[in-house]
Amino acid sequence: MSESPVLDHSVIDTLRMLTQPGEPDVLLEVLKMFLDEVPPRIERLRNAWAEGNIKEVHRAAHSLKGSAGNIGARRLYDVCKAIDSGDSTVPASAELVDQLGAEYRSVEAEIRQLLKGA
Amino acid sequence: MVPLQVLVADDEPVSRTVVGAMLKKAGYPVIFAPDGEQAWQMLDSDDPPAIALLDWEMPGLLGPEVVQKIRGKQGQSPTYVILLTSRDSYADIVQGLRAGADDYVTKPANEDELVARVNVGARVVQLQTALADRVRSLEEALANVKALQTLLPMCAYCKSIRNDQNYWEKVETYFTQHSNVAFTHSYCPSCYERFVRPELEALEDAKAAQDRQRRKG
Repeated sequence: MSESPVLDHSVIDTLRMLTQPGEPDVLLEVLKMFLDEVPPRIERLRNAWAEGNIKEVHRAAHSLKGSAGNIGARRLYDVCKAIDSGDSTVPASAELVDQLGAEYRSVEAEIRQLLKGA
Repeated sequence: MVPLQVLVADDEPVSRTVVGAMLKKAGYPVIFAPDGEQAWQMLDSDDPPAIALLDWEMPGLLGPEVVQKIRGKQGQSPTYVILLTSRDSYADIVQGLRAGADDYVTKPANEDELVARVNVGARVVQLQTALADRVRSLEEALANVKALQTLLPMCAYCKSIRNDQNYWEKVETYFTQHSNVAFTHSYCPSCYERFVRPELEALEDAKAAQDRQRRKG
C-alpha cells in the first residue's frame, strides 16, 4: 500500500487538461471541492464507526473511495477500498479508520502545495 | 448535427465534476443531478437527455432503479444509459445490464474510455432517431397509398370525384392532394379526331373566308 504515491500526478495532469477556454479551472475546482467535501464525510464515517453502524461506515467509505479515485489519491483510495470491501457484519479495525485520517492529511498537504503553486 | 445532451447523475460532487468536465471537453452539453430522484425527474421530462450516465449508488433511487423506470416508460426516444460503478464484479455488471442499462463504466473513469463509450451511445441514439424518422415518413406514404386503394365515387358524366368531405372535385385536384401525381394536359388520338380537328378545320375555314373577303374588297 505504501508504494503508491499520495497523489498520482498523471491523474492530476489529466484534470489540468480538462479546463476549456473561458471556463473555470477544473483542477482547482475539483481540488477545492475535495478539501471542502471530504473532511465532513470522514467525520461521518468515524461517528458511524463509533456507533457500530457498519452499513453507514461502508456507505461512507464507498463514496470517499470515489472522491479519492477521481483525484488520483491512491493510498487514500486503497484504505477506503479496504474498509468498503470488508465484511459487512464485522466492524472495520480501529487501525484502518485511523489510517484513513492519516492518509487524508497527507493528501491535504499535497493539495495545499499544488494550490499554492497555482 | 447538434451534439446530444448528456445527464451525469452522481451524489459524489468530485466525481460528478470530473466526469462532467471530461464530457464537456469532448463537446457534449452536460446537465447534472445530485441524486437518483432528480435524475429520474430530468429523464421523465418532455425533452429528456439522449444519454445518461448514472452512478450505481445514489441516495433516493439507485442507478439500476432509475434504469428500470426509464425502461418501463412508453416513449419514442429511449435514453441510452451508461451505469457508472466502482463495483467491478461480474455479478454487479450483469445485474445492471439486466436492469436495462446499455453499458457500464467503472470508476474512477478513464477519460478516453468514458468518451469512447459515450460516443458509441451517441451513434446508437442517432441511428435510432434516423430510423424512427424513416419509419414515420414511410407510414405517411403508406397512409396516402391506402387513401388511393378505397372505392372512389366518380360522376358518370363529368368524371368528378367525391372526396372525404363530400365535395365533388376534379380528378386532377383529387389526385394532386392524395398522391404525388402531377398532371400535364394533353389529348388522346380519339379526342383529337372528335374535338381538336373540327376546331382546327373551323379556324382554317374562317381564315379562308376572311381572305376571300379581303381580296374582294
